[in-house]
Amino acid sequence: METMIVTGAGSGIGLGLARKLLAENYRVLAWDIAPGDLAGVNDDNLAFHQLDVRDADALAEAAAEAAGWGDRIAGLSTCAAIYRTAPFLEIAEDDWDDHLNINLKGTLLACQAVLPAMLEQGSGSIVMFSSLIARRGAMNSAAYAATKGGVLGLCRALALDHARAGIRANVVSPGIADTAMPRRVMAEADLFAKGDDIPLGRIGMPEDMVEAASFLLSDDASFVTGQDIRVNGGAGLF
Amino acid sequence: MADKENILITGAGSGIGRAAALRMARGMHVIAADLNADSAAETVSMIEADGGSARAIPVDVSDKASVTSMKGRIEKDVGSVDKAFFAAGIYIRGIVCDISEDHWDRMMNIHVKGTFLCCQAVLPDMVAANKGVIVNMSSDFAVMAVPAAAAYMAAKSAIYSLTKSIALEFAPHNIRINALGPGPIDTPILQSGRSPQEYEDARLMLADKLPVGRLGQPEEVSAVLDFLLSDRSAYMTGQIVHPNGGQLMW
Repeated sequence: METMIVTGAGSGIGLGLARKLLAENYRVLAWDIAPGDLAGVNDDNLAFHQLDVRDADALAEAAAEAAGWGDRIAGLSTCAAIYRTAPFLEIAEDDWDDHLNINLKGTLLACQAVLPAMLEQGSGSIVMFSSLIARRGAMNSAAYAATKGGVLGLCRALALDHARAGIRANVVSPGIADTAMPRRVMAEADLFAKGDDIPLGRIGMPEDMVEAASFLLSDDASFVTGQDIRVNGGAGLF
Repeated sequence: MADKENILITGAGSGIGRAAALRMARGMHVIAADLNADSAAETVSMIEADGGSARAIPVDVSDKASVTSMKGRIEKDVGSVDKAFFAAGIYIRGIVCDISEDHWDRMMNIHVKGTFLCCQAVLPDMVAANKGVIVNMSSDFAVMAVPAAAAYMAAKSAIYSLTKSIALEFAPHNIRINALGPGPIDTPILQSGRSPQEYEDARLMLADKLPVGRLGQPEEVSAVLDFLLSDRSAYMTGQIVHPNGGQLMW
């Protein structure tokens, strides 16, 4: 049995991805600051580690457990992220630091924790999450936009650094999706009304992002690396 | 076979088109269209040997009458087209001063007009069914620049632009249209206009320049195609996906 690692697995897209990978018969190592809805998932192939992606030591410890199983680590998907809005001039330094440390540095640290094992086995697929907001921007979202733009650069550089070692790294960029994240900054009715402005006529579902991530993690994407797969219902075609 | 969906694949006689036909025949009835009737028939034989079902249709995608006649035959033989992959293409190298009018016209007619005509042929059925998926064949060269490929780049960029516009137009009809943008793939197009030695040199040179250090195989493109044609990409339209070994990242 092969292992997949998912950060931010307690909710939203990360939770959906963990479930999907279990259904695909992977052993899943789920990392998050709290188990969240993952607590309701009973599966012998699921192992949860309560950790903060800002904590390099905790990540290294959790990754060592995966390596200890002796199975190939097929992939890592970094879903852990926060999204808080604030007008540009009112972004507090703490708020900026939280975004950068969780969304961007947390992605780097998770990759650094898992990559050595992947390099040793000579293969592995990494899937990071950016956002439509990285390219298109969004009101009152400068901190989030900066981190999600950063993920694009981080991914490409990682993809180039390790392409010859058999490591692939790609990004999924969701548009607005039916998760808890946008609900922190908008009302329920407003969230679904956003679908009216999207060519395919609806907001995204976590499953839409999960399918793209699981495709990129799989061998069907064997010649795909350094790419940004934009799952946004056709919003913002450029 | 009655329950199988029909997929139309142009350029199905060789390279990525053939690999796509073989892959999609795992679950669908394949209409293998190609300018070269013999190579399309050969693809059909390969599919049938594999236990799949397919039929060959000769077509010149740059000719409206030929595309219309193809559509008529499909209607008569199997009914409507549920999904489509338009992969017919050519590659002619040449620095700009050497591009003849004929070279330019063939490049534009086969790629751009051909993709347009084929989309035009299958979209009415899809609108009537209120569902459908099309994947057009673009290239990394729709976005990144290389010398001695002006006509090819212009053609592949046009296919990507066409894809985006049609995607917006038909999204309300629950029809998705995306593009593939492969990088260097080991196909007959790489051999065209090159001697065996030049082909071998080109393979090594291209592989060495790629981040992954090897050329892609047609099957690695058709695996991405399969994703784009399936409901797994239900929320993607107007996109270009690049199986390119890291050649272009944008």
